[in-house]
Amino acid sequence: MNAKERMDAAINLKPVDKVPNGPFTEAPVCQYFGSNFRDSLLEGPEMLKAHMKSLEEFKFDWVMLGMGYIGGIIPEALDCQVSFPEDVFPVIEKTSIFSMADVERIAKKDVFTRRMDSFLDGVRLLKKELKDEVPIACEYISPFTIATRLRGTNEIMMDMYENPELVHALQEAIVPLDIAMGKALIDAGVEYIFYGADMECPILLSPKHYKEFVHEPTSKVCNELSRLGSKVLPHMCGDIVKTGIVDMLLEMDIQGIMPGNLTQEKVLDIRELKEKVQDRICIFDNINPNGPLLIGKPEAVALETLEHLNRAKGMNGYIFSTSGTSSPFTPKENYLAMDREVINYNWNS
Amino acid sequence: MAIPDILNSVVAMDKISVVENINDAMKNGTPIDDILNNGLIQAMDVVGEKFSNGEVFVPEMLMAAKAMQTGLEVLKPHLTGDALVEKGTVLIGTVKGDLHDIGKNLVSMMVEGAGFNVIDLGVDVDIDKFLSTAQAHDADVVCLSALLTTTMPTMAKAVEAFKESGLKAKIIIGGAPVTHDYAKQINADGFSDNAPGAVELIRKLVAA
Repeated sequence: MNAKERMDAAINLKPVDKVPNGPFTEAPVCQYFGSNFRDSLLEGPEMLKAHMKSLEEFKFDWVMLGMGYIGGIIPEALDCQVSFPEDVFPVIEKTSIFSMADVERIAKKDVFTRRMDSFLDGVRLLKKELKDEVPIACEYISPFTIATRLRGTNEIMMDMYENPELVHALQEAIVPLDIAMGKALIDAGVEYIFYGADMECPILLSPKHYKEFVHEPTSKVCNELSRLGSKVLPHMCGDIVKTGIVDMLLEMDIQGIMPGNLTQEKVLDIRELKEKVQDRICIFDNINPNGPLLIGKPEAVALETLEHLNRAKGMNGYIFSTSGTSSPFTPKENYLAMDREVINYNWNS
Repeated sequence: MAIPDILNSVVAMDKISVVENINDAMKNGTPIDDILNNGLIQAMDVVGEKFSNGEVFVPEMLMAAKAMQTGLEVLKPHLTGDALVEKGTVLIGTVKGDLHDIGKNLVSMMVEGAGFNVIDLGVDVDIDKFLSTAQAHDADVVCLSALLTTTMPTMAKAVEAFKESGLKAKIIIGGAPVTHDYAKQINADGFSDNAPGAVELIRKLVAA
């Protein structure tokens, strides 16, 4: 099997020849192999260079993109003032939504900025070079998470009580734009939409608020991107099983779930999640990217990786991953230790 | 019933009732420090506990903190004597290169609600600013927040700078990517992964 066949097989809950290896690689890849972090996140030729070098050394089963896209390019396209420092992720300096009039203005935006075109060029370059042998995944965000970027997190959270009409109207305005930007990714060559539910996770929002404010607009976008041919793979932190959020996710047309952290130091037991989702969708594993991987020694990383793999052994629809974005400061020897364990693991014995 | 009513109206995020109940309590001669400590401050402890237990979430924390601050505004002109004595000075900010503030704001509101004098330096704060402000205000605790893994190393540099400065302030850290192990690794004096935990930690450090 090549990487694309292996990942597709796992997503479709079919047998695989070995463990599909899909951690959140983008930030370390840009740090290890990019000439500078910003350009490797955002600029076509630099993206290509960094990810191709990374595949050569790490042999991941996908190319993962999108931190700069969701963190900087989308907010900038929707009128936020964003800075793009050379060595860190983009930073939103000023939000763009202060009133209903701003919502109406945003609804009419042409989102395809020069920076967005450059990013999409990078996806196209990668697609051409990868020759359909390695799939491309891109991080993406829900209308609610985009709304928090545009309005400010505290403001949106309090708007739910003080100005709920604005929260609904803003997301309604964002839904068609979110679909258009997602379609552009798919057209450029992204096969997996990695749908980050950053701000609506059950660490921050109650299931009641999720249902009232988030579920409908998110479903519209996920269902449409799935209809357009992408595999839609939501990523969410917090206890999605106990809070019942997973049941709402399963109402959408999704093909997998990547559970994030329960807290900074704990992750969800994927066996518990598997019991819940059964054979309906695939599951990504969730090694804590801020644990031994970031601050431990390679031996500890290898041990933790092995524990996760042993726990998952025999599970169909399983993909090895980290439970969220790996830090660009993850020591390379730690990433290599994790990678070695996954590549050498005897999955089918 | 005045104090429980004040407490319950904060927990219920009801600003109007908070003001009404405080005014009623003052008319009835309830001591101001009783209203402050057993009404408003105690209410935020209840909210914090509910947050830790997963009974309330960030929007509810923010709204309750807003209700409590509305109550504090009503009380401020009447604060005298012991009620004016703050429990310590806490400096808080998100480190240089990081503009995320939701966690920092939650901690700031909760710590203020617990009776501390809070100096919020905002976001993107450089180490010199933390040091000079801590010195100028004789801060007891400095809280460093980061959401980005790229800005976490600044925390390590800040801890080192504080240790070298000889200032009395204890340094605690928090934020989405930060862990207890990381706090130990960089020699911070404490870590919390949530706002109520930060309040407890600060109380312990100041009492020590």
